[in-house]
Amino acid sequence: MFVTFARDWRWDFCSPPATSRLSSSAISSLSQISKAAPVIDPALLTQEANANVGKGVAGQPNWSQLANLSQLLVEIDFENDSIAIEPKSYRTVGLIADALHHPNLMFYKFLVVGHTSSTGDAKHNLKLSQQRADAITEALATTFAIPRNRLSSVGVGQEMPVDPGNPKAADNRRVQLINLGRIK
Amino acid sequence: MNRSSLIGGAIVIASLSLAGIGRADTMSYADAVTALAKDCGADIKKVCKGLNLGNNQIQDCLQKNQAKVSPTCTSTLGQVSASIQQRQAAQTGFFKICAHDAAQYCGGVKGEGNILACLLKSKRVDNGKCNQAITDAGWR
Repeated sequence: MFVTFARDWRWDFCSPPATSRLSSSAISSLSQISKAAPVIDPALLTQEANANVGKGVAGQPNWSQLANLSQLLVEIDFENDSIAIEPKSYRTVGLIADALHHPNLMFYKFLVVGHTSSTGDAKHNLKLSQQRADAITEALATTFAIPRNRLSSVGVGQEMPVDPGNPKAADNRRVQLINLGRIK
Repeated sequence: MNRSSLIGGAIVIASLSLAGIGRADTMSYADAVTALAKDCGADIKKVCKGLNLGNNQIQDCLQKNQAKVSPTCTSTLGQVSASIQQRQAAQTGFFKICAHDAAQYCGGVKGEGNILACLLKSKRVDNGKCNQAITDAGWR
C-alpha cells in the first residue's frame, strides 16, 4: 500500500508504518483548514464531470477549486471491473475511519473522489469511479459508523489524471479524501 | 463436576480473558480490518467475490458460508466485529466520561480536538476513568 498525504500533492511513499503514526499524519493532513477555503458542492462536481467525458475537468470552475482544500490521497484496490474493495485495501479504509473518528475531525464533512486511469472507455470509467467512490462511502458509513451527513462521493473517471503525460499509468487510479469544512 | 460444566467453565474463562484483553487494549479500525484481510482474505475472494466491506456484506457472507470458511477466519471475524464495536462504544462514551475532567481542567478550551489535547497534557487525569476512556478510544 502506498499513501500520499497532500495539500500540495507531494508524493510521500511509506512502507507499512505504525497505525498511530500513519493515522496521525492523516489527521494532520486533513486538519489544515484555511479560512479562505472554497465551498464545494458535490452535485456541481458531478455535473461538470458528466458534461466533460473524454475532455478533462481540470479547468472546470468547481474541480479546479479542490486543490485548495485539505486532502489525503490514497490507493484503494478493487476487484477487476467491480465495486468490491480488495481485502488488501481494507486497511486503508480502516485508516480513513480512524482519522475521521478523531476529535480533530469528527465534526467535519468529507468528499470521496474516485479516479481511474484512461484504460478502457471514458464513459464506463466515469460510472465505475462513481460506484467505487460510493462503495467506499458506504463502508465508512456502515461498517465504521461515520454519520452519513458527513460523507459525499463523486466519480470523475479518467478526467483528472495526476500524471497527465501518462493517462494510462496506474498512479492515476486513486482516491482523494477531501475536507469540505465543519458541519453547520 | 461433569464434562459439560467443565467445558462450560472453560468457555467462560476463555470469554473473560478475551474480554479482558479487549478492555485493556481496543484495536484501531485499521488494525481490525487488517486482521480480517489477513485471516479471511483468501476466503473472501473464494466465497464472497464481488461483495463489499459496507452493509455487513462480508460479515454476512462469511457467516452464511461458515462450512466453507477456514476456522481461523471464523474466529478472527468474531474478534474483529467485537473489536470494532468496542472501539465505537469507547469513542462515543469519551465525551460523557470525560465531561467532568474537561470542565475542571480544560474549562476555557474550545473545540473537541483541543479539549482532548488539553486532557492528554493534564497530569491530574492520569489515573481516572477519563484516562482509560482516552486509551480505549485510541486517541493517544
